[in-house]
Amino acid sequence: DEIGLIPCPEARYNRSPIVLVENKLGVESWCVKFLLPYVHNKLLLYRQRKQWLNKDELIDITCTLLLLNPDFTTAWNVRKELILSGTLNPLKDLHLGKLALTKFPKSPETWIHRRWVLQQLIQENSLPSLATKGNLGAAPVERIHRLVQEEMNVCSEAAGRYPSNYNAWSHRIWVLQHLAKLTVKVLLDELSSTKYWVSMHVSDHSGFHYRQFLLNSLVCRTVTDNNILAQNQMVNEQNPSLQKEEESAGTEAACAEEQSVDLPRRLDEEMELCTELIDNYPGHETLWCHSDETLNNSHHSPATGHVAQAMDVDGLNESSSKQGYTQETKRLKRAPVQDSLGPEMEYRFVDKVLSTCRDVDQARFATAYRKWLVTFLGQ
Amino acid sequence: PNLCVPFSCRSAYCAASVASLTNILTPALFAGTAEWIARCQNWEGGIGGVPGMEAHGGYTFCGVAALVILKQEHLLNLRSLLHWVTGRQMRFEGGFQGRCNKLVDGCYSFWQAGLLPLLHRALHARGDPALSMAHWMFDQLALQEYILLCCQCPAGGLLDKPGKSRDFYHTCYCLSGLAIAQHFGSGDLHNEVVLGIPENCLQATHPVYNIAPEKVARAVMHFLQYPVPSLDPAS
Repeated sequence: DEIGLIPCPEARYNRSPIVLVENKLGVESWCVKFLLPYVHNKLLLYRQRKQWLNKDELIDITCTLLLLNPDFTTAWNVRKELILSGTLNPLKDLHLGKLALTKFPKSPETWIHRRWVLQQLIQENSLPSLATKGNLGAAPVERIHRLVQEEMNVCSEAAGRYPSNYNAWSHRIWVLQHLAKLTVKVLLDELSSTKYWVSMHVSDHSGFHYRQFLLNSLVCRTVTDNNILAQNQMVNEQNPSLQKEEESAGTEAACAEEQSVDLPRRLDEEMELCTELIDNYPGHETLWCHSDETLNNSHHSPATGHVAQAMDVDGLNESSSKQGYTQETKRLKRAPVQDSLGPEMEYRFVDKVLSTCRDVDQARFATAYRKWLVTFLGQ
Repeated sequence: PNLCVPFSCRSAYCAASVASLTNILTPALFAGTAEWIARCQNWEGGIGGVPGMEAHGGYTFCGVAALVILKQEHLLNLRSLLHWVTGRQMRFEGGFQGRCNKLVDGCYSFWQAGLLPLLHRALHARGDPALSMAHWMFDQLALQEYILLCCQCPAGGLLDKPGKSRDFYHTCYCLSGLAIAQHFGSGDLHNEVVLGIPENCLQATHPVYNIAPEKVARAVMHFLQYPVPSLDPAS
């Protein structure tokens, strides 16, 4: 379940450089300079049609190559051909990619190939021919759900292995958009399952950006569902037959279930998380940025009739060079209702931070926020 | 269905760059591209690789430069973009970071600082009275300090940050960033700001294509001589 290079400049004993301990695969470093050119060359000769390799050899060679250098696009492309010809199970590539990412968590080609494989899998969802493993016999919806969960795990691991792993988080967003279709359930699940992770990685801007993406998607979803509800109501009023009422009631119930998102509460919770982290870990710019944006969303949620604008920071003409803003939530813990957003409490929080904090950056962010309060809330 | 949706902002920039220099840029070729790039601008003010993604220096440059080529910069919120990019210059190091809360990197001397000339031009076209006529909206001297003092490899070539090894990519973009930091404007408005001895001064670079401005002119003149190729396979 993990690969790695064992620093070992010289072959001391006459034995294999491959070490397998408790499911971890190690390769002694001395052999790489022999092994890599060898397999690389073999694959190139095959590609140039100078030397034939059968399917099993191709699978082995590309596997070796990719574990040593997963950004070797040609090797992934050979495997694409094998998958398309039905010789290679795409799930194997998901596993190979997962393994490669333990050592190369950013590898762009690995993520790109992964998305291609996933697209193949969802296209072939209805075909029984891929039922070589037990779990593929499951219903398509269940299968997709498992795929999504696995992808979330892979992304999470890769994100943990490299700070602010842009490629891992991009992939995670892509999976939600294209596999999970941004359902409310998956958005809420992801919000709760990443909460602990971001608390352990407070400078990981990508992680917090992901939460912004989730919240924004929820906002959009709420707006869409509101529209569906409104349309259903119109239909009901126009056609009051019993049959239609039952149908509409069913749809309405479904929408109502989805409606139990309680967006203001979610945003409040996000604020609480931010403030807690800001208090505990002073001076992390990411947290202040995240807070600021969440505050913006709170102010412009559908409850007030506006859809959260991604770029709604026009009122801020800050000369300070950092986007250092925050949101106080002690007030929110007491009064979750949005209307109690009183400016005087904001000032109180910021002043408290300014008077008690010792971190220079924290002070700078708080000062900037104070200026912003004057501009933004002073309107 | 007919929209030209790029794989990412980077490919949009490559395509627009090549097409404009070789005189094959037609509205049909980039239909919908500008709008798609604009969707990549997010709440931070910067631009991500694809819509929904985190703002990133490399993609932001590519997106903005592509829009400049397509003459559609106004589709962006220039103000929040300006706010984001100026926030990326590190107050201690003087160089730029690629994303919020990340470390400085020499290559962003171009990707990030290179945005300021583009923004300057776009805002100037809108008649913004507050624009300087002598300096870009970032600390040009601080950036030059970072590049010259921290990004040079003693054996030649340039790099990301002290402790990293040199490579062609960082050599290219550190130098490009240095050129941006040293030269404001062009023609009558040209203003040189050179840190250290005059010999440190590099040739100016074109803020959109990042090659010498006269080379851009020559390329454009050359390809203007040829007709635009038809998309028809038969001809």
